[in-house]
Amino acid sequence: MRRRGRRWRAVLITPVLAVIVVLYAFPIYWLIATSLKSRSQLFQATLSLFPEAPTLQPYADVLIDRGMWILLRNSIVVCGATVVLALTVGLLITYPITRLDVSPRVRAGVLNWALSLRFLPPIAVVVPYFAVVRTVGLYDQPLALIFIYSLFNLPFTIWMLKGFLTEIPREIEEAALADGASRWTAFRHILLPLATPGLLAAGVIVFSFSWSEFLFALILTSTPNAQTFPVGVQGLVTQFEIIWNDMAAAGTIAMLLPLVLMVLARRHVVAGLTFGVVREK
Amino acid sequence: MPNVTEARPAPLHRAGAGRFTRQERLAYTMLVPILGSIFLIVTYPFVLAVIQSLQATNGGAFVGLQNYVTGLENPLLYEALAATAVYAALVLPTEILLGLGLALAVHRGIKSTALRALFFGMAIVPLVIPPIAVGVIARLMYAPSYGAINHILMLTGITHDEINWLGQPITAMPAVASVDVWQWTPFVYLVLFSGFLTVPRDEIEAAQVDGASGWSQFWRIELYYLRPLLILIVFFRLADVLRVFDHVFILTGGGPGNTTQLLSLYLYRVEFKFSDYGQAAALAVVVLIAISVVYSLVTRVLPLERR
Repeated sequence: MRRRGRRWRAVLITPVLAVIVVLYAFPIYWLIATSLKSRSQLFQATLSLFPEAPTLQPYADVLIDRGMWILLRNSIVVCGATVVLALTVGLLITYPITRLDVSPRVRAGVLNWALSLRFLPPIAVVVPYFAVVRTVGLYDQPLALIFIYSLFNLPFTIWMLKGFLTEIPREIEEAALADGASRWTAFRHILLPLATPGLLAAGVIVFSFSWSEFLFALILTSTPNAQTFPVGVQGLVTQFEIIWNDMAAAGTIAMLLPLVLMVLARRHVVAGLTFGVVREK
Repeated sequence: MPNVTEARPAPLHRAGAGRFTRQERLAYTMLVPILGSIFLIVTYPFVLAVIQSLQATNGGAFVGLQNYVTGLENPLLYEALAATAVYAALVLPTEILLGLGLALAVHRGIKSTALRALFFGMAIVPLVIPPIAVGVIARLMYAPSYGAINHILMLTGITHDEINWLGQPITAMPAVASVDVWQWTPFVYLVLFSGFLTVPRDEIEAAQVDGASGWSQFWRIELYYLRPLLILIVFFRLADVLRVFDHVFILTGGGPGNTTQLLSLYLYRVEFKFSDYGQAAALAVVVLIAISVVYSLVTRVLPLERR
């Protein structure tokens, strides 16, 4: 009885899962296929689901002719700096609350406050931030984005680092301190090497989140001096006549980097998105 | 800015440095300056928004609550709130039911570790694609003249004319919502699937010995263990629905008419298209206060470990 039920279940589940795989694979395939089409193929009377004579020309068009490699460089600079700043500040906050004896109230207070920031919708603070950024002369400067991205990535940086740091036994550091090492030496030579995998994972996720950010970049930049790649992608989509293969090439570039990074940190993505509530083993 | 005040360790510090151990002193030397500056960075713009909201957009004369009145009397605000509610009503139940169904199907139906790992890897993919790139993908699927969906529908003979998915009020909202479902159902799946793995095996086995069916296993045992995760999902997804901007902005820009003009797109429009800074600031203050209230109510049931 039970075995037959199980076989029926497999018969039902397999096609459903196959359909779902297609629903996810096809749109991504369509993006990449379009990005490999030549301009002449776009103007054919009948739409083709495959790129005939695939070409990388759209990528060259987007990056070089349209100058979007500058935006790509801006994105990398902004995201890299954000990772450094967010991790540094994150460590300065999580080190004391996980490695030193502070009262549990302070510890809970810091964590709660970090969580509450996660609930803040950027659009509600965009209005005042726009005013502040203009008054202090950071409008259209990468620095403005770096500060804001670090701030918005701080909540889950704190929660992730807290998770990683509490997993490292305090006894290891205390043994070094007992042997006469200074707190800095113990941090630098004992804790930091042990925490590196966690820091890398958090860094990868901060990088990807900042890479995806669009609203602040749209509002706080106006020229290639500070515009990031998503802003450039948006320009290709909302222009009057859309050049499909260029748009798809830009979309593919925007998608590729976080995908490659996530291969490195895939075990931590869900933990990052849920503030460490859900951990993959 | 909900609960910001809780974070200030300053009052503790005032109790007198002599009472602290060396460790505590070091901890507060690190925490106070950094949290203090973050507190200022977060609070200062909020104060500025309050000031801006009490001033006229042109000239900056003090106008009292005039901007609040204008903002709250504008029927466009209620259209935006309604659109946001429709979006949430389309997106949240669909994502949760689909994600739950998928997690259950894979948990019960697929035992091979390799296949499970494959599904795990595939579910991560949509989560890390930037919403802008997802918008591009959606554009390539839904657009007239190049969209793959129309192409497939016409190839299979389901329709003979192109459907302008993003240009008609009836289809625009579902199309925009479908993008959200595509991107975020895997998140629900991943969280709930890992939840199924935490259900104690002996409880399931005991139920099976008693002859419980698969359904009653689910309703009576597994759902109980999934409940905190479901609350968590609703919490995070609700926060995200309020910040949805990117893919709607490049798919419909809020149109046709105002059908897909969600709250975030409306605030954007008031500030940057109408350049009504006073009204925009007033609305931002109202939204922040509303969210703080909701937040403080919701966190009481949130299953996060705080210590």
